[in-house]
Amino acid sequence: MIALRIREHALAKRGVSYMLALVWLAVTTLPFLFIIVTSFKSQEESFSSSVWDLPQRIDLSQYESVLHGAFFVYLRNSFFVVGLSVLLIVLLSSMAAYAFARLDFPFGKTLFGLVVAAMIVPIHATLVPIYLLIRNIGLYDTAFALVGPYVAFGLPISIFILTEFMRQIPRELEEAACLDGCGPLKIFWRIYFPLSTPGLATVAIYNAVALWNEFIFAYVLTSTPAHRTLPLAIWDFQGQYTSNVPGMLAVVTMTSLPLIAVYAFGQERVIKGMMAGSLKG
Amino acid sequence: MASISLRNVHKAYQGNSAVVRNVDLDIGASEFCVFLGPSGCGKSTLLRMIAGLEAITAGELSIDGQVVNDVHPSKRRVAMVFQSYALYPHMSVYENIAFGLRQAKLDGLTIDRKVRRAATSLQLDQLLDRKPAALSGGQRQRVAIGRAIVREPGVFLFDEPLSNLDAALRIQTRTEIARLHREFNQASAVYVTHDQTEAMALADKIVLLHAGADMERDGSIAQVGSPLDLYHRPKNRFVAGFIGSPRMNFVKGTVLEANAGGVSLRLASGEVLAASVDGRGLRAGDDATLGIRPEHLAIAGGEATGQIVRAQARLIERFGECTYLHAALADQADAHVVAKLSGDVNVERGRTIALWAPPHACHVFDGDGLALPRLDVAERSA
Repeated sequence: MIALRIREHALAKRGVSYMLALVWLAVTTLPFLFIIVTSFKSQEESFSSSVWDLPQRIDLSQYESVLHGAFFVYLRNSFFVVGLSVLLIVLLSSMAAYAFARLDFPFGKTLFGLVVAAMIVPIHATLVPIYLLIRNIGLYDTAFALVGPYVAFGLPISIFILTEFMRQIPRELEEAACLDGCGPLKIFWRIYFPLSTPGLATVAIYNAVALWNEFIFAYVLTSTPAHRTLPLAIWDFQGQYTSNVPGMLAVVTMTSLPLIAVYAFGQERVIKGMMAGSLKG
Repeated sequence: MASISLRNVHKAYQGNSAVVRNVDLDIGASEFCVFLGPSGCGKSTLLRMIAGLEAITAGELSIDGQVVNDVHPSKRRVAMVFQSYALYPHMSVYENIAFGLRQAKLDGLTIDRKVRRAATSLQLDQLLDRKPAALSGGQRQRVAIGRAIVREPGVFLFDEPLSNLDAALRIQTRTEIARLHREFNQASAVYVTHDQTEAMALADKIVLLHAGADMERDGSIAQVGSPLDLYHRPKNRFVAGFIGSPRMNFVKGTVLEANAGGVSLRLASGEVLAASVDGRGLRAGDDATLGIRPEHLAIAGGEATGQIVRAQARLIERFGECTYLHAALADQADAHVVAKLSGDVNVERGRTIALWAPPHACHVFDGDGLALPRLDVAERSA
């Protein structure tokens, strides 16, 4: 009897969990479905049909017009800026994380505290000084103008994640490498860096997603389409097609595709990296 | 070939009391030295100081006559086998063994020759392409040993290398280590363990360490000597109790007579036992402790009256080859002795048994726990 009641209770709990999961799935996927479906409608149909109606016929004209515009320039800029920034973030944060995790140096803990504290600095408070700085060093309206701030804002959380990750690598490996004749740099490069691959993947994907969508720095530090990134493309297309909702949503769809591909590929690694240290292995 | 010398070596972590104190020790070239002791006695710390992985707070460490206190671990000509194996998980067995040689910038052909020779010696030939995760515990341990021997060091350091293996594999690997040391007998070896069986089986020299108040008073080393030295001539109660399994029995008594030819003790139960020790350090009426190993006790014949301890059998453990008899001394409910008897001995729980303790097998410890010199051990153990 008691066993039956426990089973009923467990089933009810599972049912509620599934319900909540379905609601959350709807909240996250329905807007995206709306974007994709609407992007295939003609402009007239988007006004005349209901929001959730499927298109009467697939209209690719919006995609054609987007692809004939400056979309690929924005895409190239995004790949360049995000790629370079993520590369620098991964390299610098892994080096810093190794130092914080394994090397003893004066004020190491204080410095690590300051790095972690930097996560709470609001981006908007830094906009004006960064804008002035970038102008003064002559990088305004170049792709490189974005790399500096992106790396700076990506480092604190990346260092935090990787430091925790590297602390879990057994110290004996470092000691064995030390006896084998490695100095700190070689120990980092030959042992800690390759062994941190899941953590590095987490950092790379997390930053790539955040920077791919970054708007405010791109808006403030660039001004011409030749140097702007994809989030500003949407902004530009919105101005160009004020009343063309399917056109705008075609841009949104195409902007999201690389991100979805990256996330679908690396989701497991991101979660694994984020969870590192939460459980004893 | 490398000898090791430690002079007044001391280790304390910042703001804490010493973990290693006043260590004076010489380990000869090609000698197999085992650091033995209970948890927390500093044996691993001492090993790590020799390796260069821990700084020496005070004192001097020399390897082959050269003071190496400030020499980088890789320049000390030492190789270490870690308790956790410490294999690089992202490298193959071959790469793990070759790693140190690559750092030493040896040419590819020499590296290949050395790696394959070590692999053959350790029966790892078929596993060279595997990653450590695909190996069993014993195979991983062999790779760790291979990584050490391939560098042809002057000193091998082993930090509890068998503690992660099961009992059968432990004995097999222990034999393997002894064989390898004979094969590479130009190198000395320092081996850390808390298992006295391993220490007795492998060591040319055992360094028994103690902790706590004993360390504060006498330094970290309780006694240094060959395995049989520590077994037959323990310096004090701690050494006598630590070496030997089951541990030595200790029974309190009062000195009746003591001279250069022996000591007579009266136990609380009234029985009198003689011990062949030089009793010049004791006087009649002094408190002392009698020590007798379980394997030296035997069931006395019915008519025996002298040199016996009467005890009531409380627990009988039969192992086939031998029987452990746990017994409470008569009139001393809190005093127990263990006797290691033959496998088919006829004893029953609850019966009072007379156990015979031969004088030459008896140890005597004074009020401070120091052992009195034994008289006729050398002749009997020879």
